[in-house]
Amino acid sequence: MQNKTFLIISREYTTRVKKKSFIILTILLPILMAALIFLPLLLVMNSEKNQHSRVLVVDDTEIFLNNFEENDNTTFQYRSGDINQLTKEAFDNDEFDCVFHILDNSDGLVSNLYYKETIPTTLQSSIESQMNEIFFDKLLQDSLHIELAEFEKLQDLTKVNITAIQIDKEGNQRENDADMNMIIGMVCGFFIYFIIIIFASQVLRGVLEEKTNRIVEVLISSVKPMQLLVGKIVGIALVGITQFLIWVVLTTGILFGIQLAAPNLFQDEATTEMATEMANAPEMAELADGNIFQAISNHFPISFAELILSFFFYFVIGYLIYATLYAAMGSVVDNESDSQQYTMPVTIPLMLAIITVPSISTNPNGQLATWLSMIPLTSPISMMVRLPSGVPLWQLLTSMAICLLFLIFCIWFAAKVYRIGILMYGKKTSWKEIFRWLKSA
Amino acid sequence: MNIVEVQEVTKRYSNHTALNKVSLSVREGAVFGLLGPNGAGKTTLIRILNRITFPDEGRIIFQGHPLQAEDVSKIGYLPEERGLYKKMKAGEQALYLAQLKGMSASEAKKRLKQKFEQYQISDWWNRPVEELSKGMQQKLQFIITILHKPSFLILDEPFSGFDPINTNLLKEEIMNLSREGATIILSTHNMTSVEEICNEIALINKSQKILEGNIYDIKQQFKQNTFSVEVTNDNRLDESFFNDIFQMISQKEGEHTTSYVIRIAEGHESNELLQKLTQDCNITSFAEMLPSMNDIFIQQVENFNKEHHAE
Repeated sequence: MQNKTFLIISREYTTRVKKKSFIILTILLPILMAALIFLPLLLVMNSEKNQHSRVLVVDDTEIFLNNFEENDNTTFQYRSGDINQLTKEAFDNDEFDCVFHILDNSDGLVSNLYYKETIPTTLQSSIESQMNEIFFDKLLQDSLHIELAEFEKLQDLTKVNITAIQIDKEGNQRENDADMNMIIGMVCGFFIYFIIIIFASQVLRGVLEEKTNRIVEVLISSVKPMQLLVGKIVGIALVGITQFLIWVVLTTGILFGIQLAAPNLFQDEATTEMATEMANAPEMAELADGNIFQAISNHFPISFAELILSFFFYFVIGYLIYATLYAAMGSVVDNESDSQQYTMPVTIPLMLAIITVPSISTNPNGQLATWLSMIPLTSPISMMVRLPSGVPLWQLLTSMAICLLFLIFCIWFAAKVYRIGILMYGKKTSWKEIFRWLKSA
Repeated sequence: MNIVEVQEVTKRYSNHTALNKVSLSVREGAVFGLLGPNGAGKTTLIRILNRITFPDEGRIIFQGHPLQAEDVSKIGYLPEERGLYKKMKAGEQALYLAQLKGMSASEAKKRLKQKFEQYQISDWWNRPVEELSKGMQQKLQFIITILHKPSFLILDEPFSGFDPINTNLLKEEIMNLSREGATIILSTHNMTSVEEICNEIALINKSQKILEGNIYDIKQQFKQNTFSVEVTNDNRLDESFFNDIFQMISQKEGEHTTSYVIRIAEGHESNELLQKLTQDCNITSFAEMLPSMNDIFIQQVENFNKEHHAE
């Protein structure tokens, strides 16, 4: 009997792992991700290094005259007069790439940047920050009569730096970084969400496939429905774990490789700016800091083992809960489009969990967070979001216990429904009828 | 000895009764036709025999003991609703299903290679099933069903979708298996094949068994003492020939011969008719008319439905 379950697991596993789509997705995704992160950076860096911008400054306020700093990529010239005339001349003679007009306006600084062809994206931000500095300097001098350098000295002196230190029961101190906790929590939460969505729906599709194929009757004349169900769920779980491990190894390898090859990539000011602009993704912020590995390993607010173990627990149990429920729903319907109305009650909590991730991560010990991390359909995601910020142990254990109990209920439910559902063809099964199946022996 | 005894089996679904106290027994070595109109309960009974579903009341005795999970490996089952994994390769799939029936991988592979050759589908071993024609898929399914040499075979509508050539191939295979000692339950609407290969039948209608027995006995039971007679046209039968004992049911004149259907009154033998015929005319053919299974099927089902409608 065990042997047959193993056979089913191995079929579910090998047929999926051997699929072209699996191989492509597994290998390509990390490369694609890396490319998505690094290619734009590299492109921007290279193109902007080579592109020279000649800027004509028309400053009606005269505050910025001769104050812009030139560098290898940008040169500034200053003229005054009618802006339209100057612009026309500048572009007609191909003297300048862009004309920067600062208007004299009592309400504040208003400026326009005229250009003909494309200009580097960093040019505008570079001019902006320079203007800020120059204007600030002027205001300092005019109103407070101090130099910018002096002001910066004062600023440094008054800089306050708060280090959050968490003290656990044994009195050990641990530096805490709320932002980092949030990031780790969100990453874990989203990850579990995707695992559930991707692989639990594979279970649903697998069950449906066997049913619509009509192979299921041959199968359950050889094995028990429960063996078939367990084999499918475990087989697909192993596919997920395989894919996950390959991703981790590949992504780490690629990131590490790039860091070795181009150690200065992330220190470049322009790219840092780009990175923050491009995506506010947490990984990007860390990348911009220079070293992603250091960033992660430095900042663990809770013990690494605790986090990994909990992650693994919610990852597995969360998947199992949804996989068994999806399997039950898959067995009830005849085609995939019908399945949605049955998976809805299960999918809504999942949606709720993912929608509330931002609010939970900003307030990890609030009421919403506590409740959602206890309800078994949302807890695998919600609890993982909370966990890096520190959760009372009793809450964690209660949540896990509820999860396990609920899983047992799900298995019971799925076993009842699946056994009957896979042999029902044609008519749509009502919820009332499903409840009747539950009552049947 | 009976290989299977169905004892008072009742199966209810939420809104109807699929089987109502059905009892029947299948003799070891028989080719047993399980007949009945659509929705009569045949598939439910077959599923119960395969332990796919379980009876609410009654029990199944298999080889002398109540049917157990282990017995399933002795059963070969070809469901009516049958299919295969479309993306899986034919050989790989057959191997997998054979192993699920409890065969070892090496044994299954050996026998499969042999069967693939016999059925001339060896070239398709490494092709995904979706590339196989429907007929080939059905051959494959049949091979899978019989591969573990089950002593008891349940074939639900095995001929549906087969062309005449493959139907014959399948019939021969079924006869072969029967000769080798397997017991076969055949559920089908194809009455010609029932007459050809079955020796026993049970007729199920509206969840109840309404007829069971040996085909010969059943035909004897339902025969109406009618004979088909053909005589040459130079000495045709005239009105005076027929009387209370020999009734003419029908007459059909041909170019050289005329055929009659004659019913003999109860208590009289066919030899009496033959004797009388030999005196009067040249007989070219004489045969008793037995009802076809098709006739019996229709008549029985209609009678049953009429009675129950009247109730």
